[in-house]
Amino acid sequence: MTLTLQPVRVATGFDEEGILVLDGDQRLVAVLTRLDGEYGDVSGHWYLEVGFGRLSGRDQHTFVDLDAAKDWMRQRLA
Amino acid sequence: MPSPMSADHHPLVRKLESIFTLSHDERQALANLPMQLASIKADQDIVREGDSPSRSCLLLSGFACTYKITAQGKRQIVSFNLSGDVPDLQSLHLKVLDNSISTISACSVGFIAHEDLREICERFPRITAAFWRETLIDGAIFREWVTNVGQREGVSRMAHVLCELILRLRAVGLVEGHTCDLPITQAEFGDALGFTPVHVNRVLQQMRAEGLIVTKGTQLTVPDWERLKEVGEFDPTYLHLENKQAAA
Repeated sequence: MTLTLQPVRVATGFDEEGILVLDGDQRLVAVLTRLDGEYGDVSGHWYLEVGFGRLSGRDQHTFVDLDAAKDWMRQRLA
Repeated sequence: MPSPMSADHHPLVRKLESIFTLSHDERQALANLPMQLASIKADQDIVREGDSPSRSCLLLSGFACTYKITAQGKRQIVSFNLSGDVPDLQSLHLKVLDNSISTISACSVGFIAHEDLREICERFPRITAAFWRETLIDGAIFREWVTNVGQREGVSRMAHVLCELILRLRAVGLVEGHTCDLPITQAEFGDALGFTPVHVNRVLQQMRAEGLIVTKGTQLTVPDWERLKEVGEFDPTYLHLENKQAAA
């Protein structure tokens, strides 16, 4: 599964750095944001802000880096 | 073992008096209820879903929560339990617990045998009425929580639960001015409000930035109570507090 990542700013209230994640058919499957600032032990991690389809759900997902996020998303979308 | 506490300082008396007027004899009878005292560390289950306890647990000090777990292992906290609460009082009549109760901070608890609770209820019918009123108010709190979690967003949802905690803590004398100790973690607020810990973190940051709350360690201060109430759309009627000053 090829995932395309497009940088974006996300208006979470803190104007955070984010990524739009598109699948092989260029459909939006997720928005990730980078947790900058006061997030304790997950500061600097990537957060699954919203996922669509198989990536949806109320599970909390934070990832150490983008590779970890991509691995998880590929697994769920496979 | 008889309780060493005087009626004036007994958490159960203080709690029931916040919702019901007790006579001198009723206060004494409650203060003399035999209790098995225990200290329980933070994050420990006191009772678990499926248990059939022969005693109920009076929270003397500390914070606890009532919760349920889904088949996927996700926890929903359905209420916070404070000093003076008997969060499993229903086990006196409902033989199997349909929820678990866990400490949040380190807690002192007093276990009261069901037979002693039955006996005090037989001797003092108004105490039965007070317990009934207490469990009815628990029901009102659950209804309010369903509404809050289901229909309010972000800051408003958090503000609502903070308003409730402050009033309930004030009713049992645990708020100093506009400040109280609130050792509830962001993860626990998340489990109570249906937020991820990241979302809780953002909501609290926003509330601090807007001056709705001031936090210092586990201490919470509310600089403008009326504004917090407004943001949380908070109407204290559902707590049915007797002391109108506490409810103001």
